[in-house]
Amino acid sequence: MKELMDRRNFLKFSAVGGATVALDACGKPEHHLIRFIPEEELTPGVAVWKPGVCTQCGAGCGLEVRVMEGEAEVTRQGQVGLIKMGLAKKLEGNPNHPVNQGKLCAWGQAGLQVTYNPDRIRFPLKRSGPRGSGEYQEISWEDATKELASHLASLNSQEKKDSALAFMTRPLRGQRAVLIGRFLSAFSGSRLVNFEFFEEAVLRRANALSFGHYQLPTFDLANANYVVSFGADFLATWNSPVAQNLGYGTMRQGRPGQRAKLVQVESRMSSTGANADEWVYARLGTEGILALGLANVMLSEKLRPAEAAGQAGTLLEGWSKGLSDYAPENVEKMTGVEAAKIRRLAREMAAHSPAVAVIGGAPLAQTNGLSNALAVNALNALVGSVEKTGGVSFTPQPPMAELTPSKAGTSVQELSDGILKGSAPVEALLLYGANPVFASPAAWRVREALEKVPFIASFGSFVDETSILADLILPDHSYLESWIDNVPESGTKQAVASLAPPAMLPLHHTRAMPDVLLDVAQKLGGEAGKALPWKTYEEMLQAAFDPLRNHSGSVSAKSSDDFWSEVQAKGGWWSAEVKSLPVTKTAKLPSGPAKVTEPQFDGSAQEYPFNLLPYASQQFGDGSHANLPWMQEMPDVLSSAMWSTWVEINIQTAERLGIEQGDLLEVASQHGKLQAPALLSPGIAPDVVAIPVGQGHENYGRYASQRGANPIKILAAQTEPETGQLAWAATRVKITRLGKKGKLILFAGGLREWPREFRHR
Amino acid sequence: MIVGGGLGVFVSCSGSKRQPSPLSSYVTSGQFTTAHPSVLSAARDYFDIYPTHVRQPIAFNHQIHLKNGMQCTDCHKGVAQGPDAGIPSDKFCMTCHQVIATDKPEIKKIAAYYKKGEDIPWQPVFWFYQSAHVKFQHAPHIRAGVDCATCHGDMRKRTVAVRKAGLTMGFCVSCHRLHKAPTDCTTCHF
Repeated sequence: MKELMDRRNFLKFSAVGGATVALDACGKPEHHLIRFIPEEELTPGVAVWKPGVCTQCGAGCGLEVRVMEGEAEVTRQGQVGLIKMGLAKKLEGNPNHPVNQGKLCAWGQAGLQVTYNPDRIRFPLKRSGPRGSGEYQEISWEDATKELASHLASLNSQEKKDSALAFMTRPLRGQRAVLIGRFLSAFSGSRLVNFEFFEEAVLRRANALSFGHYQLPTFDLANANYVVSFGADFLATWNSPVAQNLGYGTMRQGRPGQRAKLVQVESRMSSTGANADEWVYARLGTEGILALGLANVMLSEKLRPAEAAGQAGTLLEGWSKGLSDYAPENVEKMTGVEAAKIRRLAREMAAHSPAVAVIGGAPLAQTNGLSNALAVNALNALVGSVEKTGGVSFTPQPPMAELTPSKAGTSVQELSDGILKGSAPVEALLLYGANPVFASPAAWRVREALEKVPFIASFGSFVDETSILADLILPDHSYLESWIDNVPESGTKQAVASLAPPAMLPLHHTRAMPDVLLDVAQKLGGEAGKALPWKTYEEMLQAAFDPLRNHSGSVSAKSSDDFWSEVQAKGGWWSAEVKSLPVTKTAKLPSGPAKVTEPQFDGSAQEYPFNLLPYASQQFGDGSHANLPWMQEMPDVLSSAMWSTWVEINIQTAERLGIEQGDLLEVASQHGKLQAPALLSPGIAPDVVAIPVGQGHENYGRYASQRGANPIKILAAQTEPETGQLAWAATRVKITRLGKKGKLILFAGGLREWPREFRHR
Repeated sequence: MIVGGGLGVFVSCSGSKRQPSPLSSYVTSGQFTTAHPSVLSAARDYFDIYPTHVRQPIAFNHQIHLKNGMQCTDCHKGVAQGPDAGIPSDKFCMTCHQVIATDKPEIKKIAAYYKKGEDIPWQPVFWFYQSAHVKFQHAPHIRAGVDCATCHGDMRKRTVAVRKAGLTMGFCVSCHRLHKAPTDCTTCHF
C-alpha cells in the first residue's frame, strides 16, 4: 500500500472513528424482541417434507409441505416475541395422491399466505363496539368457549320445538362435516347451511337423476378422443382442475400420434376455451338445446347403435321419437349455432370414440340449468361414454362409517327468508368460512337477516363481510397447523380419504374448530356430549380411519397404531382398486320427464340488452382468495388485466356503442349497479358482458378491501326451480358510458394485435 | 456523511425497541436502504468491518464444558447435517443445569430466562454481510474433516466465542487452495 491516506482509507477511519460509541448500543440484548423457548428441536437449515391436505377449493388435493426451521413472530402468554420453529416454506402436490399426482394449482401454491397472512385473527375476540363496526377486544380461550357453551346451553333449555341454532359453513367433506352434523344433531331443529357462490347442486342433482349418484362427475380426459365442453372451465376453476389438467395434458401430448379434439361451447372465452381447437358460441342458457341438437343428428343419421341412447335419454321428453323438435335448423334458431356446424360436430363426435361431453359453469346457473345438465348427460349416454374408458364416471367413496353429515342442509336464501319473515328465527348462528354477505345477491338480504340474529360466533381465520357481524370470534388454525382430512368427490377412480397431521405448530393463539366444538360439546354434556364422545379431533379421525385397515389400499398394517401412523405418513388412504362407481339403472324422476326449456332472464331484452355473465376468476374463485397477495399479483390469463374489476365486452359491440378500452362503464341490472372500466375482447359474444367475481370486498383484510366491484350484488335472485340453486348467469343488464376513463391495468399492455378477422367478419 | 452515519445508528438502535432480528443493526432494516439501516452500516459493510468481541447476555464458558468431556456437536447439533451449526435453547442447558452449578451467577441468569419461558438472546459472532452474498455451509466442511478450531479458534483455551479469524475471502480461498477444494465463485457466493 503506497498511500496511507487514499479515499478508501479516509472514509474507513473517519466512519469508524465517528461511530464506535454509537455502535456499542446496538449489541445490547434488551433492545431486541424477546425470544421464546422453542417448542420443537430441528436441525437448522435442513428441510423436511410433510404431508398435507389442500383446502383452497373442494377438489381435495394432497399436499407436501416443505418445513424448515425459521424464526416467527408469535404471541405467547400475551407477549409478542420471536420463536424458532418449523415453518412451512413451500407447498407442492403429493406425488402419490390419486387426485393431483404431485401437481398443485395457483390457489394451492398461494395457500402459504393463508397461514402467514398478516390479517389473520391471532386470538379469540369478543365484540366491544356496535355490530359490524369491527371493534373487538381480546379474550382468553377459556372465556370464549365458556361464553359459546353458555349461549348454546340456553338454546337447548328453552322448551321450543326448534332450538333455532344454525351452522353456516363452506361445503365440507370428510370428518369435519360429520363432526358438525353430529354436533347439530344434539340440538333439535338446528339447521346446517352450506354456502358457496359457485355451488354445484344442479349438476349433482342431474347426475343423481341420470346416473344415480348425487356427485360431481370425473372425466377420463387422458383416454378421450373428442371432448365437447359446455361452459365448463375445467382447466382453471371448475370441479377438480388439477386432475383435469393432468388428464388434458395426456390427452393432447401424452399419446404419440394421437391428439384429441376439444370443442368449447361458451359465450365468453375462458382459459379452457383458449385451449380448445374450436370455440363455439351458443346463446347463454341454450347449451342443453345444442346438446340435444347433436343427439338429434346422431339419432337421425343412425351414427350410434339404437340401444346406445341408454337410460339417461329416457329422462328426456321426445327422446324416444328421435328428438324431432331438435333438428339442426330448429336448434340454430334457438342457440345461434349454424345447422351445418351442428351436423359436423355431431358426426365428428360420433366418429371419434371415446368422446365425452362436459357441462359446468354458466349453463347450469340458469333457470333451465337442470334440463341443460340432463341433456348433456343424455348425450354422454348416447355416445357411450358413461362409465367407460375416456368417458364420464363417478369417484367411489372410502368405506368409512360416516362420510357425510346426517343432516341435510338448507340454503342461505331459506335461512335469510325465515329470519326476515319471522317464520324460522335463528337464535344463534355459528359461522365457518362461508361469506354469504359478500357472495349472495342483494335481493337475498342476508346482511339484514344476520343482523337480526341475537348471537353469532365465527370460527373463521379472517374478518370478512359476514364474520364482521360476529359477537364472538374463535379463530381456527390454518390448514397447515391443524389435523386435516378430506374425501375427494371427483377427480379419480380410486376411493380416497386424505389425511394429514399438523405440518407446523400454530403461529398464533388459535384453536382448531373441531377441537373447540368437541370441548363445547363436553361442556354442554347431555345429547351433545353423547354425540361427540371424543376428546380431540385426532381421536375422532383415528376412529374414523381405522375401519379402512380391513380394506386393500395404499396402507397395509397389522396393528391399529401402525396403520394410523402409516396413514399419516402417506397423507391418506386410497383404495388399491381403480374402479369407478357403478351407474345405477333405477334412477327415480319425481316430476316427470324433463324438458329442455328456454332459459328465463331477469329484465326485459329491450331495456336491458346484455346478458351479464359473472365468472369464477382464476385468481379469486368466488372471492375467498382475494386476500392472498400472490393471487392479487396474478394477472388474468387471457387479458392480463389485474388489481381491479373490469367489464369484458365484445369489440364490435363496443365499437357500435362508441366504447373504448378503459372507458368507465356503469353496469345496471334491475337490482343494482356497479362501475368498472371496459375491457374490449374478441372472445366474448356480442350480447354478453362478463365481469370476474372476487373483487369488491368491503372488509376482507388489507389486500382485498376496497378494490374493484362485486358483480354478485347486482344479480337477480333467480333460481333453478328444482334445486333452488342461484341462477347466477340469468340477469340482464344495461351499460352506460360515464364519459371518463376507469382504472384498467393490463399487465401485458393489452392484446398485441387485434385479430382482424373479428373486426371484419 | 459521517455525522449522518452516527445519527443513523442512534436512530436505528434507540428509536425502535422492537428489532426484527439480532443482526438488524448490521444487516437489514427498512430504515435507510433495503440492505442497510444507516450510512455507517453501509460503510462497515463496504470495509468488511465486523465486531470481534460481541457482548453476550451470558458469558458462556466453552472451556469448562469441553474440559468436562463434552463435544462441540453435543450442543451444536446441526453442524454435520446442515448449513448452520445451531445453538441449543436454554431448555437444553437446563437438562444439566437443573442440578449442576446452580449457584453460579451466569447459570442463575439462564435459569431466570428459562423460568420466564424465554430463550437466551445470543448475539451472532460469526456471520457475513448480506451484500457479500456468501452462503456458508457447515456440513461439507465437517465432512471434509476441517477442524472446528480452524475458523473458530481453539475453544479449549477460550471461554466466550470471539471472532478471531478474519473470515475474509483470502482466508477462505487460501485454505480451499491448500486442500484442493473448489474455488469457483459459486461454491461460496450465490
